Amino acid sequence: MIPLLIAHNTFREATRDRVVAGVVVAGLALLALTQAASPLALGEGGRLTVDLGLSGISILGLLVILLAGTSLVAKEVERRTIYNLLARPITRPAYLVGKWAGLSAALWAVAGVLGLALWGLLALRGLAGHGPAVIEGVYLAGLELTVVTALAVMFSALSTPVLSALYTLGFYVVGQWSDDLRLFAARSPKGLGTVLAGIANLVPNLPLFNMRTLAADGHTTSALHLGLATGYAAVYAACVLCLATAAFESRDFK
Amino acid sequence: MAVRARDLSKHYVHPWTLRVTRGLEGLDLDVRRGEVLGLLGPNGAGKTTTLKLLTGLLKPTRGNAWLMGEPVESTAARRSLGFLPEQPYFYDYLNGVEYLELAGQLSGLPSATARARARHWLGRVGLGERPRLVLRKYSKGMLQRLGLAAALVHEPGLLILDEPMSGLDPFGRRDVRDLITEQRERGVTVLFSSHILPDVEMLCDRVAIVIGGRLTRVATVGELVAGGSQAVEIRCAPGAVLEIPSHWAGRVTRTQRADESIFRVEDEAQLAEVLGWLLRAKVQVRAVTPQRPTLETLFMAAAEAERQRRTA
Amino acid sequence: MSALAACASRQRRFLTAWAAALALGAGVFGLADLAWRVLPHARPLEELSYYPSGRFLEPATLGHASTAADLAWLRAVQYYGQHRTTDNQYVRMGHVFDILTALDPGFLPAYVFGSFALAQEGRDFPAAERLMLKGLAANPASGTLAFQLGFLYFVRPGGRDLARAADYFERASRQADGPPESVRFAAFARQNSGNLGAAYELWSHVERDSPNPYLREMAQREMARIREALERGRRELAMRHLTTPVVLFKSQP
Repeated sequence: MIPLLIAHNTFREATRDRVVAGVVVAGLALLALTQAASPLALGEGGRLTVDLGLSGISILGLLVILLAGTSLVAKEVERRTIYNLLARPITRPAYLVGKWAGLSAALWAVAGVLGLALWGLLALRGLAGHGPAVIEGVYLAGLELTVVTALAVMFSALSTPVLSALYTLGFYVVGQWSDDLRLFAARSPKGLGTVLAGIANLVPNLPLFNMRTLAADGHTTSALHLGLATGYAAVYAACVLCLATAAFESRDFK
Repeated sequence: MAVRARDLSKHYVHPWTLRVTRGLEGLDLDVRRGEVLGLLGPNGAGKTTTLKLLTGLLKPTRGNAWLMGEPVESTAARRSLGFLPEQPYFYDYLNGVEYLELAGQLSGLPSATARARARHWLGRVGLGERPRLVLRKYSKGMLQRLGLAAALVHEPGLLILDEPMSGLDPFGRRDVRDLITEQRERGVTVLFSSHILPDVEMLCDRVAIVIGGRLTRVATVGELVAGGSQAVEIRCAPGAVLEIPSHWAGRVTRTQRADESIFRVEDEAQLAEVLGWLLRAKVQVRAVTPQRPTLETLFMAAAEAERQRRTA
Repeated sequence: MSALAACASRQRRFLTAWAAALALGAGVFGLADLAWRVLPHARPLEELSYYPSGRFLEPATLGHASTAADLAWLRAVQYYGQHRTTDNQYVRMGHVFDILTALDPGFLPAYVFGSFALAQEGRDFPAAERLMLKGLAANPASGTLAFQLGFLYFVRPGGRDLARAADYFERASRQADGPPESVRFAAFARQNSGNLGAAYELWSHVERDSPNPYLREMAQREMARIREALERGRRELAMRHLTTPVVLFKSQP
């Protein structure tokens, strides 16, 4: 119940914040831009629309996380609004989970709005059949953002907003390279390979949430992929939030 | 007991130099249910540290504390707690009603009750006329009042208030005093810190003086002021040019003003002797006023005594 | 200063600031326009020339390789169009399509367009062949690409490679997404390369499986021709003299 209350409040904060509204407008503008560029794509306008639409959701969502998510907890500590909360009968884990859930919900809402707009646009182009692929692409993008939000909340609970943003961005970048890290690990000498493989498992496996190429051709992915991605996102986010809780539990608010 | 602390201590260790700063040392404190206890001390004495340790915002280095019988580490301890931090800040994107409703729900109230109580308390602290005003437009005094309302919305059994009069004009301070008195009459325990000594004198059943991270004294206001000897002030007409006899030096002082002369007798036992001397000198005596020692005086004396103890 | 005078002064400052901003803004517009007309332009496509390979560019896209490929596609199409209408020089086209297809190996139209542009206007058949073979290596089950490669060999400027064309037409016919005309094209290529036995076999498939009566008639005619040529011991009777493909431009460089 308490996490839901905090989540609701965080969702309210995110949606009243101009960043989220601006991001939705930017996403819609990006989709409009794809239509302006479509005639130049020599018949590949549909592909361009899907690619840019799905990439836009992912990148704009990351922008929201870096601007709003990384100061979620840090800002409350800085402004001391957290005193009013933690002096009530709520646990620190409940607080962190609520914060993560609230921002994730806001990001899902953004992804949903932009995903619907993308589908509508494709339908207008006579590519309504791409719908299932787009839905899956948006779903996976939402899972990706949920995982990155957990990282942002963790860093925000430990550090300042600027450092939190840098750490989160760093994990995002390395996470996109996790497949390459695994390849390097396989080709490297034993010791180094083990270390690299360890790092590849430590960082979020973001390529798992990427089916933009498939979606651009109107292809859906397998139920196994969707199931694995969902399970991985849930477990990774839970793990990160546990780490955040462990660190946050002993934190003093001077 | 509403609040119990045993050997409560907080030390800060610098991460690089490992230098230890003792924010609070060995605090033993009991606050009875239904009592109003004032926490006095100079800046940096450890008052806020004490209150934050009791509310769980700081983890003690040593010792234990209980609120309403529950250890402070547990959420149960905070169920009956209403806390007002010093210079409170709130979510500036919410309005007054929304914030109080959230505060009530987080303290365990059902949403309908929280909504009703939010409106009630918003009005009670004088903010009811504009319930939809966003908090970013609140003045400092309005934020202080809202903080009080947030501390009271779930009608707790224990109030911990850090500088509740801070930022308030005299009318606001009077309202806060009335609120605290009202809560005491309801049987609520109040523990608050303040720099405004007259308010502490007026409200508190007992006063705890914290200086340099240590609790130096806990007593009723009456007990604190009773120990001192009572001085007397004699107000006379102006122009009384009299040489104070040398054997009274240090015990009788004169202050000359344009409209009067004031003779201060430190020991009331000497009053008759001094009055006789003035009347024989044909000085026109206007008033004789006993001077009770104030909490401010005692507090300053206690602070000085502690300072001397440390340097000795 | 009276309130009225203060207000007028504030208004004057406000209007002066706006006027200055507009004037400076006009200056900015003019300077930008002048720079565009006078200075050499940065050509974004050339930036891709500094990348040794799309394989190194892909990690830099942070998971958005297919989007980056789409943007590169837009530029590649503009590059082709710009040079097609001017100097017909396509120095960087092979490299650009190599990068594009490395970013998105499943982008089939890029292989097709790139290969034909390289073979025809680019006059670089080996580069076209490499690009298409790269596409097939990345998409081995693609009947579309196999057919297009077959066609590339079929229209090779300077001399058709009918044997290879037939190989890839046959490969396309075996794939799920292979065009239905693949068998017919394979039969035609085999027949005109002199492999009459294989051609007869392929025509018999057309005669048996084609839903189009005209195509079935055509298959029967070709089969009859082949039978006659084999009976008379004169292969050339079944083979057609095909023209040598050349690339023609509206305006030669």
